[in-house]
Parts: sequence; structure tokens; C-alpha cells
Amino acid sequence: MAASTPNGIEEPGQARREAMALRRAAGSFLERRWASILVVAVALAAYFAVANPAFLSGNNLLTIASFLSETAIVTAGEVMVMICGEIDLSVGFVAAMAPFVMYFVWNDAGLPLWLGVVAGLIVSGIVGLVNGLVTVVLRVPSFVTTLGMSFLLNGLTLTTTGAFPIQAPEQGTRFAALMGHNQVAELGWAIAVVLIVQIGLSYTRWGLYTIATGGNLLGASEAGVNVRAIKIANFILCSVLGGLAGILLAFRVSSIDPSAGGYDIMFRAVSGAVIGGTALAGGSGTVIGGFIGALVLAILLDGFTLQGIQANTFDLILGAAILVAMILNVTLQGRRQQGGQ
Amino acid sequence: MVRDAHRLEPDEVRDGDPIGNSDVLRTVLGEEAVERQERAIRAGYRPTRRQLLRNLGIAGAAASMPGFLAACANSSASSRGGQGNFPPHPGWKFTFINHVTTNPFFQPTIYGIQDACALLGLPTAQFVGSENSIVSEMVDKMNAAIAAKVDGIAVAIINPTAFNDPVARALEAGIPVVAYNADAPAGSNNRRMAYIGQDLFLSGQKLGARIASLVKEGPIAGFIATPGSLNIQPRIDGAKQAIQASGLPITFTEVATGAKVEDEKSAIEAYYLGHKDLRGMVAVDAGSTQGLAQLMQKYNLPAQGIHAGGYDLLPTTLQLIDQGFLDFTIDQQPYLQGFYPVVQLFLYKLSGGLQQPSDTDTGLLFVTKDNVKPYLNTKTRFEGSSSKEQVVKAS
Repeated sequence: MAASTPNGIEEPGQARREAMALRRAAGSFLERRWASILVVAVALAAYFAVANPAFLSGNNLLTIASFLSETAIVTAGEVMVMICGEIDLSVGFVAAMAPFVMYFVWNDAGLPLWLGVVAGLIVSGIVGLVNGLVTVVLRVPSFVTTLGMSFLLNGLTLTTTGAFPIQAPEQGTRFAALMGHNQVAELGWAIAVVLIVQIGLSYTRWGLYTIATGGNLLGASEAGVNVRAIKIANFILCSVLGGLAGILLAFRVSSIDPSAGGYDIMFRAVSGAVIGGTALAGGSGTVIGGFIGALVLAILLDGFTLQGIQANTFDLILGAAILVAMILNVTLQGRRQQGGQ
Repeated sequence: MVRDAHRLEPDEVRDGDPIGNSDVLRTVLGEEAVERQERAIRAGYRPTRRQLLRNLGIAGAAASMPGFLAACANSSASSRGGQGNFPPHPGWKFTFINHVTTNPFFQPTIYGIQDACALLGLPTAQFVGSENSIVSEMVDKMNAAIAAKVDGIAVAIINPTAFNDPVARALEAGIPVVAYNADAPAGSNNRRMAYIGQDLFLSGQKLGARIASLVKEGPIAGFIATPGSLNIQPRIDGAKQAIQASGLPITFTEVATGAKVEDEKSAIEAYYLGHKDLRGMVAVDAGSTQGLAQLMQKYNLPAQGIHAGGYDLLPTTLQLIDQGFLDFTIDQQPYLQGFYPVVQLFLYKLSGGLQQPSDTDTGLLFVTKDNVKPYLNTKTRFEGSSSKEQVVKAS
């Protein structure tokens, strides 16, 4: 069913030519790896917009931004680790810990809040460094490394905080608004992170080496790529982004909660990455795709809540919707590959 | 558009206005919904009256929702009106935001919501939130409900500050908000209109007084799943306070057990094995209470004069009370925590705000060997053990 007929015997009519032109245009759009999932996201948004007029209201778009922003930031980091052929399960617990580090630096050490934010991100980065070192130097599979790290961090957060939520600092200030209390600002952070990491992936040596490391580890290292350093760097990036997401989340909900983040946000981020076209086995993926994957999840979570779906049926419908969306996505991708012949 | 309408069989065809008393419907549902329906009928669809009412309701909420979704959602926004002495009124839609939506504890709450909505002629309120106490997810879902312009919100405020903004936002949008099951701490800036649920600190005090009166002296351990959660922390604080106030020579230690029922059991056993001098144990959440009851049975601790009690009505807990291993458990009547918020929000809407939601204690009932039988022998909506509507005879 591809556009061209190899022997060219048939005389294409006017309508047929137009159809071919259209198909070519669609084909060049769909050559983008993330295009098919974008089509799915738009279709979902259109469905909810028709089903419920409140879906496109300003209030609800902000709500979708909240559902999306932190997950999208975590997804960006997770995509990079996954392209390397690894996974980071601990990123959600970094997200829970980082705002506490920020709080302790600000409240207990009496330093300015922005320094607390920096400290939170640095500690997050150290967690990523440890994850990376244990994985590539001691050769513990990253699944296990980061699983252990998850428990470790969760326990650390619970014990150091007395497992009690704290009010986020500097309520009502411009700083708090900028750091995520304002949903538009939070979305801005998410978009900035996604763009920066995507540009890094597409246009820098670091991005090229990351793809090479995940796509062909042996080949890459024989070609002179320092695959260990690349992996460690991406673990650090993922953790730092997890910490950033956790800090933004704390300011958004005005509370630093020891049970925030966790496996929940990690799982949503990994799902977003995979829905957005990142290969679980590594070697390929895009950050923009991950962002759109996270957007699909956000639209589903928001849309079904808006529709008044009951909790017990929520998972049923969410699961079915994810399956349908992914089947649609894979079908579209199949078409893309055919178009690219 | 009206997908599940069907063409009528000849014997079902009636003459006259296809959707019956459309003037009333126009008033109640709005011009647009009725007109949409009439267009569909003119186009050849002949729904039954029941389908019609339902479709009109759905049309008001969601123009073209497939039947499957409709069945899962609030299935009707239509007003049946006129229950008892009440005048016809819109089908107000309420949303309950919960922290552990799939926890069996809240099954009676869901039944309470359903029954109150049916009684008052309202569409069944939405029950939604997080499955694992993830506060940000609750906040997001509450914001979605505000965006959907629901007519009232009940929220379990399990975090001291995170719900201040969403509650304020809802009130500014003209949506009344009550807290249920868990409440913002005293002195909080949270503006929820009322709290409907157990007075947690008071119940903890009663628990503490009871265990102190049984134990008299020696160490007591208090088990809590997740310290800091506003739905259970006040209980253990109350227990501690009452034990100290009793003046008895008792030391009280707080032990965290974790959020998963299977972990709670292990944590309690581990603590007991390390502290065999314990004379009493209490637990302040359902899972810990069950784990505690199982520990009492495993080591036959009542024979050693050790007393124990806790909260909530998990089946194992009730059985072990009946067998004498656990001294007592506290029933906080979760059915009422769904029923009363609906009634209060309804009256607020019906009275145009003249009837303000008011703080309501859903009570505290000690369940002991003496009165545990009806819990074990009957299966009811009130305990969540059966979905069947029935009149339960007192025993």
C-alpha cells in the first residue's frame, strides 16, 4: 500500500495524485519519531474537548499542566538513562528527599532559600553519581542498584524528617511562585528542561555518545567513547532532574511531604518515556517524545477525572485507554516506517 | 450522537410529544440539552422514556460519551426532584477526593455516598483521588473537579498545608467544600466549611484511657502505619496524652509500622519479640490493628495478661475479638462519613447557603467480645461487607 507503484504502469489520475501528495506530506511529518504519539495526544484532547466543554477552560488547562510538569521533568532524565540501556527506579525518592535538603539548609542552617535549592540539587546529583558508580564500576544491574537506592532514600527521608510533612517555605513570595507554586511557571520549567535536554541529545557529542552507548555498547567503547562516563553523567542528570521535580512539586502543593513522588512518579515517567517512543532496551528515544508521552498520561488522568469517573473504574478505563492509545501509536508508526521505504 | 438510543418496536410507539413533559425538562436541564435530544428524535431515533432521561442527563454533562464511559461515570445529571417535601431541584454533582481510593475501609463510605445521593435524587457523587496517599495527585484531581465546575467537594485533608490553596480556589469558584475522614489541624489556614468524621484526637484519648485502665502499669507500645498522616497521627497523640493524664506508671512508645498490611504485621511482631516486657499494645490504623490481633493470637498473649486494642473493622480483627485475643476495636462508622457530607452539601445548595455545613462527629463505638457478634453475623452496606440494600434486625 506504499505510495509509489514500482513499475509505473498505472496512469495516476488527478485525485490519486492529490492523495499521493497528501500522503507524502503526512509521511514527512510522521518521519519524526514522536509524531505518531502527538497525533494520539491531539486525538485524546479533541475527544475530551467534545465530551466536556470544561476541558478547554483556562482552569483545566492549568490542571493538566500540574498533572504534566513534574512528570515531564522526571521523564526527560529517565529517557536519557533509558537510551543508555539503563533504568533509574530511585528518581521518585530523590524527588521526595531534595525539598527536605532544601528545607534543612534554609531552616536549620539559616542560609538563603536559593542556596537550599542548589544544595537539594547537588545532593540529588550525588545520589545519581552513586547510582552510576555502583552500576558501571561495580557492575550491579541498574535495576537493582536503583531499587536499593529507592529504599535507602525513602528510609533516610522518613527518619530524618520524623515522617511528618512540613509547610513549604516562603509562602506567597515571588520566589515560591517561580519555583512552581505558579502552575505556568512550573510548566515553563518543564518545557525548558525538555528543550535543553532534547537539544543536548540531538546536537551535542554527549547526545551522540549516549545513543551510541545504548545502541551498541561494545562498538561505542571500541570507537573511543567513554561509555562509563556517559552512563554516570546520565544517572547524575536523571537524579538532578528528579530533585528539581521534587522541589517544584513541594512549592506547588505548598507542602514538603515525605510520601511525595516515590514509585508513583517514577513509574509515570518511565511510562511516559516508553509511550513517547523510547526503547526499553536502550539505543533510541527522544525527550520530546517522552514529554508528549507524559502529556498523554496527564490528559487521560485529567480528562477522566473531569468526566466524573469513579475511582474503582478509573484504573480499568485508564488501562484500556493506554492500550488503545498505544495500539493506535504503533499502527501509526508502522505506517511511518512504510512511508519511509 | 445519542448512541445507545434504539429504534422503537411498533408496539412501543406512542404519539404526542416525544420526550414527554419537555417544558419541565427544559427548565431543569437547560434549553440546549433538550433541543439536542429533540433533534435526534426527529432524525429517526426513538428512545424509550428511561433512556431519554438518561441521555438528557449525559448530554448535559458530556455531549457524546460512549455508553461504556457513561455507565462508569455519574450516570445521570437529571433531577428527579421532589423527594419527601423537597421541591424539584437540579441534579447537583458532588466529588469526594480520597487518599486511598481502593482501600476496603472506604467501601462503606462509598455505599453511604450512593445511598444519600439516591435518597436526595442526586446523581451518584464521584469518588476519586490517590490510591497511595500521594498528596499531589489528590490536589490535581481536586483541581480537575473545580475545573469541571462540580457543585460541591468533600476532601480528606491528610496534609496540613497542601489543601489550603485548592480549598480556597474552590470556594472562590462558588463550590462549597467540606473535609471528611481527615481534617486540617487546629489553627490551620484551611478554609473548609466543616469537618465530618471522627474527632480523631478525642478518639485517641478514649483509646488511651481504655488501655491504661486495662493495663494499670508497665510499658505500652502504640503502633501507627504512617506517622504524620493527619488521619491517624492525632489518634496516637490523643492516646499518649490520655495515658499520661491517667497518672498511672505507664511508659508509652510510638512505633511506625509502614503502609502495607503485610509489612505492618511483621513490624509489630519484630517489635514485640524485641520488647517482651510489654504489658499492653494499641494500634491506631486498620492494618496495624489486624497485625496486632494476629500477634496476640500467635503468642497467646492474653494468657500472659497482656491487653491490646485498636481501630476499625477488618474481618480478621473482628474474628480475633470474638475469640478473645483482642480486647477491643473502635468503629468510626465510615458509612456516615460518606452519607453526611452529601446531605450537608445538598442542604447548602438547596438553601442557597442558609444551611451551612457543620462539624459532625461520626462517632466512636467500642467493639468488644460482648457486642462483636452482629458485625460477624451480618453482611451489610454499613460495614461494606455486602452491597445489598436491606433492613438489619438488631440482635
